[in-house]
Amino acid sequence: MTARAFAAIAGARLRAERRSLVFACASAAIVGFVQSHAFSLEAPLFFCSTIGIAVALLQGPGRHAYLDVTERSAPLFGRELARAKALAPVVSATLATLICWAAQFLSGFAMPVATFVEALACAIASTLVALNATTRSGAGRFVALGSAAATIVAAYLLAKSGGAAGAATESIACAIVGFVALLQYGESLARYDPL
Amino acid sequence: MYILRMRDASYRRRGETIVAPTSLDLAPGTRMTRACGSAREAEGLAMMAAALARASAGSVTIGEYDPRVQPVHCKRIAAFVPHDPLPLSHIDAARYVAYRAALWDVGVETARARIASLLARLEGVHEAFAYPIAGALLPSPQLLVVDRPQAAIVPQILAAADDCAILITQTEGRA
Repeated sequence: MTARAFAAIAGARLRAERRSLVFACASAAIVGFVQSHAFSLEAPLFFCSTIGIAVALLQGPGRHAYLDVTERSAPLFGRELARAKALAPVVSATLATLICWAAQFLSGFAMPVATFVEALACAIASTLVALNATTRSGAGRFVALGSAAATIVAAYLLAKSGGAAGAATESIACAIVGFVALLQYGESLARYDPL
Repeated sequence: MYILRMRDASYRRRGETIVAPTSLDLAPGTRMTRACGSAREAEGLAMMAAALARASAGSVTIGEYDPRVQPVHCKRIAAFVPHDPLPLSHIDAARYVAYRAALWDVGVETARARIASLLARLEGVHEAFAYPIAGALLPSPQLLVVDRPQAAIVPQILAAADDCAILITQTEGRA
């Protein structure tokens, strides 16, 4: 896959979901401004991860049928398509987390950098896991969504387990989960049947 | 050698037969219109012919490749034109051309010139239908699969496609 094709798919997806992106960033800014517990992990981690899951679900088939058909008919492997398609929701989740942190910073209660990294890692991992729900239906979709929710809870528990070691463990665990979820998403896109 | 061969290719989903067993041979440069019993069957047949859907039973060969094993090779040979028009309210035409050119790795200037030439040959066809057809023909495919086109624009499609093999699916009564 050429860098140009990758940028074209990611750019088209981001452009198609620009309203959702603005909504995600605006709501993250509000959460960052109004959260009552300064320096807490809960609000950014849970809220931004939920935003990531919601934006991931918007990548499902049918919402932008012309993009779906064009991407599917292009000579691309499932794993290549997965990487390009995953970028849009990952960018949305990342921006939402950054804006949440910036809003906290402006209100004078910015979370520490380590906490921000924990929230970001969890948001990206849960977004990638949730992408798998878009290629499944029925029970498979609920399993994928349940896995995304479980990722958030597990990441939170790991982050809360203690200090720098907990933060590092959470970030590494999220990186592994996100990587496996992206591989799985590529496999399911390769096997996906649009009919 | 055929550019598209189907041998009892059928598509079933959750116990329901969407495409009944179908056999056809399409030689390079030839054109074929296939009448189907329903819109869903026509769409399913077109998607199997363009390697977008895998046959549940039977065999499909595009060029010398099996879409179940080498879908990417098949998609370099076959191009697909969907039934639905391009939503020009969501994506402008220039951006659509650049998008397709990037996906098929065609140079931007080459793509613009080729699309302009194809659109000239598709004169009279509404832009929302003309752009997907021109976009599909952009990488010079050997096989063009058109899912239920409007009868009025079929002559322009045939004229624009040069020596490319064409499979057109239609619902019964329109073929």
